[in-house]
Amino acid sequence: MATIYKPGMAAIFETEEAILKAAHKVKEMGFKKFDAITPYPVHGMEEACGIQRSWIPYVAFVMGVFGCSSGWLLTWWTSAVNWPLNIGGKPFHSLPAFIPIMFELTILFSALSSVAALFYACGLPRVNPPIIHPDLTCHKFAIFIPRDDVGYDEGKIEGMFQALGASAIKRAEF
Amino acid sequence: MAGTHSTNLHLEKYEPSQRLKTASYAFIAIGVIGFLVGLLKNQDRLWTSYLVAFYYVTCLGVGGLFFTAIQNVAKAGWSTSIRRISEGMTSFLPVVLVGSVVLLAGLKKLYPWANAEVVAGNPMIEAKVAYLNVGFLVVRLLIFALGMLFFGKKIVGNSLKQDSTGDENLTHKNVGWSIGWILFFSLSFSLFSVDLLMSLLPTWYSTIFGIYCFSGLFQSSLAFMILIMLYMKRQGVVQGYYTIDHVHDVAKYLKAFTVFWAYIAFSQFMLIWYANIPEETEFYLLRADGGWMAISMSLLFFKFIIPFLALLPRGAKRNESHLTVMCVLILVMQYVDIYWLVYPNFYEGHVVFGFYEISMLLLFLGIFLSTMMKFFQKNSVVALKDPRLHEALTHHVTY
Repeated sequence: MATIYKPGMAAIFETEEAILKAAHKVKEMGFKKFDAITPYPVHGMEEACGIQRSWIPYVAFVMGVFGCSSGWLLTWWTSAVNWPLNIGGKPFHSLPAFIPIMFELTILFSALSSVAALFYACGLPRVNPPIIHPDLTCHKFAIFIPRDDVGYDEGKIEGMFQALGASAIKRAEF
Repeated sequence: MAGTHSTNLHLEKYEPSQRLKTASYAFIAIGVIGFLVGLLKNQDRLWTSYLVAFYYVTCLGVGGLFFTAIQNVAKAGWSTSIRRISEGMTSFLPVVLVGSVVLLAGLKKLYPWANAEVVAGNPMIEAKVAYLNVGFLVVRLLIFALGMLFFGKKIVGNSLKQDSTGDENLTHKNVGWSIGWILFFSLSFSLFSVDLLMSLLPTWYSTIFGIYCFSGLFQSSLAFMILIMLYMKRQGVVQGYYTIDHVHDVAKYLKAFTVFWAYIAFSQFMLIWYANIPEETEFYLLRADGGWMAISMSLLFFKFIIPFLALLPRGAKRNESHLTVMCVLILVMQYVDIYWLVYPNFYEGHVVFGFYEISMLLLFLGIFLSTMMKFFQKNSVVALKDPRLHEALTHHVTY
């Protein structure tokens, strides 16, 4: 696949508290591109990692507005311009009749574009990613700092991970 | 856990300010004066304004019980700390019984089918006499009013009992009562709306009418609930038990049901507009005439488009003053909605609004406020011994 996995340092933690503390610390140390890997959503992780609000809702909104207006254009052009049909004596351009199509296209455009944006934002599809530790999908937690992060220094990071109480520290790809 | 929540929980006994007490009693006094003046001077206006105000506030009270019931049925954890607010809204329910009985005095003024002379000459109404007759209506109103009183007593009563006993079984029992209430409510409220509002124009019918009324009921009840939640927070009665995260979630609910209302309102309109059958279109023709067209359009803009866009951003649902404005707007528009359902049937082509409408609204709002004040004075504002309260205390909305 096109996704290139980055080499870096990973630390394994045993508890939720430890990983939250570690994420806080790593953020404080000035790392920007690190990731926390947990088997389930951990409360407070967004703040701990300093994750900003997602930009996907804006995509959904803009594409929704676009879908709505294109629905209007489509129905107007087909029923009032290109092939006007007299339906029950109603005006060719009858907004109430167009609203269902405008509504459906709003939903279609914003839903599909948010899924597409989600795939883009998360770098999906990630087929067969490198496994840092097999227990990360079950009951262990990890922090991964890629090599291209600001201030990357293996010795310093190892010391920090040890001080945070990591149960294992290793070089890994993610 | 994450430590993102303040651990200082603070709950005071609620004591309404003297100003609020005076205001609600003044409202009731103005309402009673309005009622008496109307009885002597203008019965037609009195009963239409009475019906609108009575139905409007009944919706808020019943909506409180409906919200409580869905939380119980869903075994929701996040809402346990705010459930008492919606339970407080049900304190109005006994008044529904009294209000229905008083309404019976105005039946002849309001409903064409209650007048034998009108029915006799109209085969379309004659065909509906088996359902639309005073005797059966009284039975239906009584079943509805007593039923909601019964379920309200059970569901809210169990919750209040838990405050002193802490018995977890009460929570389990409430699941069953709440399922019963939702079934009873969905049927009886539809018929209640058909009886009180749709039958004002007995030749007209819309099969979606009950849901239309329900959507307005739930939208306005959520708006009212948010206002009480913010009020209790601002008064310093509750601190920590519910946070802006809970308000945010109820505001999401409010936005969802703003869309739901528009969806149902449009479904009703579009099918009637498209099919163009005279016995269905008469309803909209009355509301497209003269001054009523402006009211009809105001519903579209102020009950849907503006609240929808204004509640869309995340920040809007977490900003207390912005949310207050939106909730008040929705509550005003819910009144306009019911007014719009009732008045064009009586005043073709011209809008009337004045002393009677305002005084009747104040009467019921005053009663609603004072029953709620009594409820919260007597009971704790948070269901402190609910077994799921700890879930609500750590409730956190992630983006």
